Amino acid sequence: MKRKILVVDDSALARRLTRKILEDLGYEVEEASDGTQALEKYALGQHDAVILDMLMSGMYGLEVLQKLKELNPSLPVVVATADIQRTTRDQVKNGGAAAMINKPVNGEELAEMLDLVWKGETAWN
Amino acid sequence: MELSPSQKDALTELINIGYARAAAALSDLTGHRITLQVPEVAIHTIPEITRKLLTVVHGEVASVNQVFSGPITGNAILLLDREAALLLNRLLTDRPAASGFDGAAREVITEVGNIVLNACLGAFGNLLKVQVSFTVPALQIESVQNVLHTLIIEEQPLEYALIIHTCFQLRASDVSGYLVIILGVTSLSTLLAELKKWEDRELK
Repeated sequence: MKRKILVVDDSALARRLTRKILEDLGYEVEEASDGTQALEKYALGQHDAVILDMLMSGMYGLEVLQKLKELNPSLPVVVATADIQRTTRDQVKNGGAAAMINKPVNGEELAEMLDLVWKGETAWN
Repeated sequence: MELSPSQKDALTELINIGYARAAAALSDLTGHRITLQVPEVAIHTIPEITRKLLTVVHGEVASVNQVFSGPITGNAILLLDREAALLLNRLLTDRPAASGFDGAAREVITEVGNIVLNACLGAFGNLLKVQVSFTVPALQIESVQNVLHTLIIEEQPLEYALIIHTCFQLRASDVSGYLVIILGVTSLSTLLAELKKWEDRELK
């Protein structure tokens, strides 16, 4: 059975690009365009992992991360962001994310990260 | 001229990436965390640009203006209000008492602008695979109207321009600034075409 991943990004382009990568890797993909929709969809879908943008209109990514972890503390969340500040990485780590990948997302990097995440490891580039 | 929703979305995503790189450069320079806000991307007529900017910055500003050219040409501007520019100068130098725009301060602010603007536009160039050349950055200390008046005179044939403006803030200090990119209609069309090519390459 295919693993199911929720892609959360306010950019339709970013969602399309990430969906393409994930579907090519054999995952089932669902999309959410903001934090509220992400929480609703996760509550219904119980996805195996979430790929989460940080800089979004409305609910900021860190807040979404916190709420997702409240719903399921063991949920693997991969943060996809162009914000490469060390402090952002620290915030994301402290928030309980499993991995962080720079945008634009590279397919090979994401595949390697997800392989680690499924083993219960963390990945930070 | 209006952007379609998908064009606006793609442009905003591109800007987000460049903007985040610029913020990281500024964070490295200052040692402070930069708080990011979602950039606003819109097309305005030239006179509207002044009105729009006056809603976010007032009075005397320090502006670092860098003209870029190549397949896409335009102006990239880092706008800081007077106090923000001086505080940035104090953060980056060991002159805590510096209070005016002397030669050393102007040099520091210009270099900050250079690094931030290059980080942003360099990210666009890399992503879209277009070569962008930069002029030497120019610092002006004057009113927002005057900053833009200079651009408008230089860009007189333009009727519309793309304006991307966004605020960044140094956490634990009051420095906030605005990044503005102004493109003419021709360059905007080229940029949109290059964006579409990027998307097509990635989705192939």
